[in-house]
Amino acid sequence: MSSLTRTQRIWKHLRREWQLYVMLLPTIVWLVVFLYKPMYGLQVAFKDYSIFRGVAASPWIGFEHFETLFGNDQFIRALRNTVIISFYSLLIGFPVPILLALMFNEVLNQTFKKSAQTIVYLPHFISSVIIAGIVITAFSPSAGVVNTVIGWFGLEPIYFLTKPEWFRPIFIGTGIWQEAGFQSIVYLAAIAGVSPTLYESAVIDGASRWQMMWKVTIPSIMTTIIIMLIIRIGNVLEVSFEMIILLYQPATYETADVVNTFIYRQGIQAGQYDFAAAAGLFNAVVAFVLVMTANSLSKRYSRTSLW
Amino acid sequence: MNRLTPLAALLTGTAIGSLTLGVSAVADDSLRIVDEPLELTIQMNHARYPVYDEDWPVEKEASALTGISLKNDTVGANMRTDENSGKTEALNLMLASGNIPDIVGSSRLKDFVNQYGPEGAFLPLNELIDEHAPNLKAFLDERPEIASAISAADGNMYYVPYLPDGKYGRAYFIRYDWLDTLGLEVPETVEEVEEVLRAFKTQDPNGNGQADEVPYFARQWPELIRLVTLWDGRSSGSDTYHDFMVVDGKIEHPYAGEGYRDGISNLARWYEEGLVDAEVFTRGSSAREYLLSENLGGMTHDWFASTSGYNRLSDSIEGFEFKAFAPPASVSGVRMEEHRRIPIKPDGWAIGHTNEHPVETIKYFDFWFTEKGRRLANFGAEGEQYTMVDGEPIFTDAVLNSDEPVNAQLWGVGAQLQARGFFQDYNYEKQWSNKYALEGIALYDEGDYLIDQFLGVAFTADEQKVYDRSWPSIRDYMLERQQAWVLGTGDVMEDWDAYMATLDGMGLQDVLDVMNSAYERQYD
Repeated sequence: MSSLTRTQRIWKHLRREWQLYVMLLPTIVWLVVFLYKPMYGLQVAFKDYSIFRGVAASPWIGFEHFETLFGNDQFIRALRNTVIISFYSLLIGFPVPILLALMFNEVLNQTFKKSAQTIVYLPHFISSVIIAGIVITAFSPSAGVVNTVIGWFGLEPIYFLTKPEWFRPIFIGTGIWQEAGFQSIVYLAAIAGVSPTLYESAVIDGASRWQMMWKVTIPSIMTTIIIMLIIRIGNVLEVSFEMIILLYQPATYETADVVNTFIYRQGIQAGQYDFAAAAGLFNAVVAFVLVMTANSLSKRYSRTSLW
Repeated sequence: MNRLTPLAALLTGTAIGSLTLGVSAVADDSLRIVDEPLELTIQMNHARYPVYDEDWPVEKEASALTGISLKNDTVGANMRTDENSGKTEALNLMLASGNIPDIVGSSRLKDFVNQYGPEGAFLPLNELIDEHAPNLKAFLDERPEIASAISAADGNMYYVPYLPDGKYGRAYFIRYDWLDTLGLEVPETVEEVEEVLRAFKTQDPNGNGQADEVPYFARQWPELIRLVTLWDGRSSGSDTYHDFMVVDGKIEHPYAGEGYRDGISNLARWYEEGLVDAEVFTRGSSAREYLLSENLGGMTHDWFASTSGYNRLSDSIEGFEFKAFAPPASVSGVRMEEHRRIPIKPDGWAIGHTNEHPVETIKYFDFWFTEKGRRLANFGAEGEQYTMVDGEPIFTDAVLNSDEPVNAQLWGVGAQLQARGFFQDYNYEKQWSNKYALEGIALYDEGDYLIDQFLGVAFTADEQKVYDRSWPSIRDYMLERQQAWVLGTGDVMEDWDAYMATLDGMGLQDVLDVMNSAYERQYD
């Protein structure tokens, strides 16, 4: 081996494992085209950008857009809403798929298990537009199923979608309903990977099903849980804003407007791409800091980390 | 190009000659612009016909007549134009793609071309029109207000606008048969409107034993805000929602006026009492269809022609009569219809800077201002959509009696396209307006309720910057408070001083200042 140079070794390795690299290629191309190339455009956050003049020819203006951004009360509010919505989605939404996976794992009747799984996966495959339509109809004050039920108890119908205090519960609930089932697949896979010998020895030691879940299953999938948590924390600022756009109203901006919807309205719709890029860049920096922090904390305390 | 110019000029001359003589089949060749067929690319996006179609019969006839055919090159076509920001994403996408087609047609084109035209993205049209577009020039000379309304801050025109004909747009409509059932008169004042709406709510005019009537409804929720005019407020200065307005030669914003405050306060009261559709903010565009055909809706503010069309429901709902009534007098006794058809739209088409045939293109634009071109743009193809009767284009029975509205049928063949610069002919609409619409228009004509509209301004780059930085946030804040007040999550009377202070802090005065300086430059 020592007779080979470094280049020769790499070349030999590539020849032997070329199939793996070919499989990797599409992802690399995708990353370069859709994530690295657009980074060139990030500079418009520091420029007075004109779409016609183009990125390179627009003049530099320094941090002016960031000053405007932080002088804008609506941006500050959007930032706060983003953090609150994400925090609650994480707090309430994160454990749900784990619970679902544990529950599916305990179901013995295969027919029941398969049909229940199909039912909870299904919403994931429905387009957000349709989900929003279902939500709007379900919460309508005149014809909605929710208000009909409320009516049975003799209460006045509530116009949910124009009430700022109802927006977050509806949004977070919808998100859980839509995604929890599908997210549980990752945990189910992790559970399937737990060695049966662990359960066998637990049975011999006289463990109950409940104890097996707590002492065997959960510790075995802890790594997966932590990795998923770190990824979620990195996406904290990426609330599914297409759903918010479909559900919010000026009347609910107060609690519903998040950074991405703010960028969409002020930047894309009003055509201020430079300003929108500044807001987006800020968003990305915050997300980066969050991932780094979560990862290093996790590394220190649980020895599990993304890298 | 140079080779063609003298010939084309000659041919255009012939076109005018034959126009004055009355065009007939013989004139076909006289409208020809080029000898060899010429193909130009076009971007065309509009909410109603998202993308240009080369197979539209109108386009085929136009290219047979002129020798110029258009090829679709539309980027980012979609069905949405944002009524709030007045900009279209498709245009931005097109510009960002770096490829500007020869012709760019769109709704909401004006601000876009007036911003990027001076930067060089679109050709200034003034000289081209003067030299090569006699019909268009004659038209602009006759109506000089068009040039001042559409010119950019540098004084150039960058697009040929769509020019609607006819004055009337929306009107107040009410169920006359419900009024009869309850023994009420047509409301003449804001107080009477309130009484009528309350009676609709409480006295079961549809007679089904349930209080399910929706007294006032609207397809677009800003039509609820429109009612602030009954308390001497304003909701918009033009046919675009939430627009600025001109008061005594100065630009102001309607949502910062005391009449607006009083109006919103009263509308909130109406909303709470159930005189207004509880779902007005989310019901959306099918509100009119649904509430009228279910025999639930009582009153609205909507377009003359299409709303009058619902009287066909008298087949299924006994006695159904939904007719226009004169704008009720406001608290100070003013009868005003705030909406009218704006005479010059921000829609139309422009010439991209990479167009290698600007002269032929402007001649092509001019073609749509010839008699024949205008008829084609308004009525569709002869023999298919219309026939000539006593020298007038009259729609065929098949078009008039179809289940599909006439305007939608015309969009389907490439006529009445607002993303094309042309002068609408009101006769097109008159033919399919039913007697209720015509009666209503006569009523509004008699009372002379319309007011002048704000036709928009063009900013310099510096003014644009001030406007862009502050206005989107201010508008968002205004709309947010507006809905909150109407829905009762806040009291407009209590909040008003804080609201005005916030607007001030957000830079409303700066926006008004740049609007005013642009306005003075443009219209004085």
